[in-house]
Amino acid sequence: MNSYDVIIIGGGVIGCAVAREISRYRLSAAVLEKELDVACGNSSRNTGMLHAGFTYKPSSLKAECAVEGNKEFDLVAKELNVPFRRTGKVVVGFTDHDMENILKYKAIGEQNGVEGLEIINKEQLNQLDSSAGGEFAMYAPSSGILDPMQYTIALAENACQNGVDFHFGQLVTGIERQGDLYEIKTSKGSFTTKWVINCAGMYASEVSEMLGYPNYPVKGFKGEYFVLDKRAGQHLNIPVYPAPNDKGGFATHATITIDGNVLVGPDSYVVEDREDYSVTKDHMDGLIADGQKMFKHMKREYFIRNFAGIRWKRYNPETGEILDFLLESDESHPNTVNLVGIESPGITCALPLARRAVKLLADAENPSLNPDFNPNRKGIEKFSEMTHEEQKNAIEEDADYGEIICRCETVTKAEILAAINNPLGVHTITGIKNRTRATMGRCQGGYCETRITELIERELGIPMEDVRYNKEASYLFTGKVRG
Amino acid sequence: MKKTDVLIIGGGPAGLAAAVELKKKGIDDILILEREKSLGGILRQCIHDGFGLTRFKETLSGPEYAQRFIDQVEELNIPYITDTTVIDVTDSKMVYAASSKGLLEIQAKAVVLAMGCRERTRGAISIPGERPAGVYTAGVAQSYINLYNKMPGKEVVILGSGDIGMIMARRMTLEGAHVNAVFEVQPYPSGLPRNIEQCLNDYNIPLFLSHTVTEIKGKERLEAVVVSQVDEHFNPIPGSEKEYPCDTLILSVGLIPENELSLEAGVELDARTKGAIVDEHYQTTIEGIFAAGNVLQVHDLVDFVSLEGEKLADSVADYILSGKSSESSGGNGGSGGIGGRQSAVKPLTKCTAEIITDSNITHTIPQRISGKEDFKISLRVRRPMKEVTIQFLQEDKVIKSVKMKKALPAEMIQIPIKSELLEEGKDLEVKVVC
Amino acid sequence: MLREYTCIMCPKGCDMTAELDDKGTLLSVSGHTCKKGEEYVIQELTDPRRNIATSVLIEGGEIPLVSVRLTSAIPKDRIFDAMEVIKKVKVKAPVEVGQVIIQNILELDSDVVITKKVGIV
Repeated sequence: MNSYDVIIIGGGVIGCAVAREISRYRLSAAVLEKELDVACGNSSRNTGMLHAGFTYKPSSLKAECAVEGNKEFDLVAKELNVPFRRTGKVVVGFTDHDMENILKYKAIGEQNGVEGLEIINKEQLNQLDSSAGGEFAMYAPSSGILDPMQYTIALAENACQNGVDFHFGQLVTGIERQGDLYEIKTSKGSFTTKWVINCAGMYASEVSEMLGYPNYPVKGFKGEYFVLDKRAGQHLNIPVYPAPNDKGGFATHATITIDGNVLVGPDSYVVEDREDYSVTKDHMDGLIADGQKMFKHMKREYFIRNFAGIRWKRYNPETGEILDFLLESDESHPNTVNLVGIESPGITCALPLARRAVKLLADAENPSLNPDFNPNRKGIEKFSEMTHEEQKNAIEEDADYGEIICRCETVTKAEILAAINNPLGVHTITGIKNRTRATMGRCQGGYCETRITELIERELGIPMEDVRYNKEASYLFTGKVRG
Repeated sequence: MKKTDVLIIGGGPAGLAAAVELKKKGIDDILILEREKSLGGILRQCIHDGFGLTRFKETLSGPEYAQRFIDQVEELNIPYITDTTVIDVTDSKMVYAASSKGLLEIQAKAVVLAMGCRERTRGAISIPGERPAGVYTAGVAQSYINLYNKMPGKEVVILGSGDIGMIMARRMTLEGAHVNAVFEVQPYPSGLPRNIEQCLNDYNIPLFLSHTVTEIKGKERLEAVVVSQVDEHFNPIPGSEKEYPCDTLILSVGLIPENELSLEAGVELDARTKGAIVDEHYQTTIEGIFAAGNVLQVHDLVDFVSLEGEKLADSVADYILSGKSSESSGGNGGSGGIGGRQSAVKPLTKCTAEIITDSNITHTIPQRISGKEDFKISLRVRRPMKEVTIQFLQEDKVIKSVKMKKALPAEMIQIPIKSELLEEGKDLEVKVVC
Repeated sequence: MLREYTCIMCPKGCDMTAELDDKGTLLSVSGHTCKKGEEYVIQELTDPRRNIATSVLIEGGEIPLVSVRLTSAIPKDRIFDAMEVIKKVKVKAPVEVGQVIIQNILELDSDVVITKKVGIV
């Protein structure tokens, strides 16, 4: 049962994209994920931007995959039934030096094949978005916004529907070559597989070493964010980025999310701890100051949450140079594909990278195609997005659509139950949240969390002590008050 | 599509009191919509006593207090629907509500906003640190313990000295949890003095003023919080950090009127109260839409919520009944369509004079008056003060002053103003002199 | 000797000062705005009492717990004893407000009563 043709280590956006692309073939495959859901690491801790590809070094894997991933995303979003909006993006500047950098990256973008880049003046900028700061801007029409969690979940669910297994709470502790197979030891047991694909994200270097590749040095660039209420979102039409710095990095930006909130961030500072997602007062203060330059409605009354993500970049320890994504597979490490240093723009590049990774395997194995592969996946039907007429019909068909569980986001019992019974078998509170948006609104679960925990217990028949917020030890209750 | 004279959104203390009073005033065509399984609102989970001293001259628990109004609603046969959530209100008073039975569409002549309030969360106050399980707002913890039979934790720290936080300190202590301390960022407590006495002092729970949580620790479940003393600008004082190991952090850091539906209807809000701007009739900036209770302003005592609901009902009854009488005398029989419905009500006295406050006062309700009618003003002070005089002025002339021994931000101050003191249409200035 | 009190008899929470002699006998009370304040100080000095509100299990009800309180305050130092007794009680739905579930708890001249109406599922 724990034996597969292919094991993918890591259930981030890359692992899930690889799983989905693998499922096009007649191969038994599984994803091992150390957390209790997909997209628990940096796949969900980012801006949710579908990048155009104008800051990456020409002919790099980043540039190639970003442009390719950007171009195909309308189709991908349709197939996977995930929300996506090609908003375009403005990169705004204030000074002559900003203009120099903007022009530099416009040229790079054009070299990379990014279409439609245009320098616009203040008046044009104001027409695009009156809340945007800046004296001039570069307009990139192909940029877009998506929900990175929903996207990763959709990739995973599509893979799952096409036959890929997902094993959660499986921290990989060691990999051994046994004859023609690999034995993968995990915190919970062991698996055997012919092929291993390393999609371990921030721990990719460690897994790389387990496979016999070098332990590539990576450096963590942490960024903190503010999430603003949808009421702030009414003032922003388009993501607003400041002019890139000399190295091509972007400072704090303001982005409208696919759900209509505003994200302000990330800033950037180097950290050691792989999973230090804490937020800090100094950086929050900095975001408030910098955010106000990009977005005129950066006000405390709109703050609903903070979060942080870490971009683990591969770098050259001697020169300090940040290196491109690494995708490798060689004969001295048979039947492995190694993906290291996949960070921003990882969401945009996920499927192009996955196709390249799977191609390495397919070229070697020549597997037959999966005749039942279905590229389409259906998401949970959202009550809040229906017209009153559609809502009426939805309730008539399923009475649970009439029971509002999360009032801030207008999420119904039908949606919560669909999320609890998700194909991956995830049943954490954050799992339900990421699938439905319940608890994500301004009251942050004050009204609905009690109801969601009750539904999880009832639907899955588990005791309250087993309900988890997001992780193995993140229990919510110590027991009953009475009885 | 259903039609009704008065649609009340929310079957909590404000909505129930308004409904009962409306019925007593002769309005029969009322409908209360409540999203919970039963009426009572937040009082269902407020099982502690101390309610009702003003309204009923005896001290009751929250559920008992609510039951008094529910009993009247039942006796008076006031229609209500539970398990039904209003999802949309328009400026023409069309109300959409979802329940498992279907989507209700109701055209009302008057809408009463009585949705109560929500709690301020960790995100709203930007507490630094990690994001483990074990951080609850006081009301959520109260709901888990008192309604769901679930104990959220054992080793507790409380941030914020709001009344619910202090009440949960006592409640959790009674249920065997250890409450380390309550920390308040302000230099004064935000809850009532009696709750400091009977919820904290009685159980030897220390209250630290000018302190706040500066870091949350724990990657999975909460493991500790770091608390720091703050200076007069609320900035943490370096070197004052102290770490408290705990599995639960309860936040009691303020309440915010729940006005998402009001905003959709186009009701104008007051940036200070986060509730609707209302006149002396509790009418919002949209004719026929009224608001009372915690959706309008956060109250200290439920008794005042009920009284506000009752006061609102007087105006709503006027609005509906005077329209009815003019309709019958005018012989306007055919009142089909929205326009027709609208003509069956009579606009209340226009309120154009503003109430202006000094910096010692956080806000007032109402914000606008006519100067022609008696009304009761509610206000809160910004900081604790002793031996104060509250002065009311029109055109720099003091028309009324009220002396008070002490004025606390935790208390809502209410003062009746007689119309004979007022000049019509002139702004009213309110000052606290100490 | 002077001792400070915060009255808990109503939400006003008057700050009061009691003047006591060396033996702890009350000489005078000041700061209160009604008679209840003075009574409270005397009670606090001689026999401090509190009411408690908590919950008991309910079987067959729409909700798992029903709230209860005491009909009159009990000595402060018996609160946790009373809690132990109340914790052991279970009731059956339906219940009405005011229904007595423990009479004369720990012989303290106080009953435990239901404060919430709960119907049958």
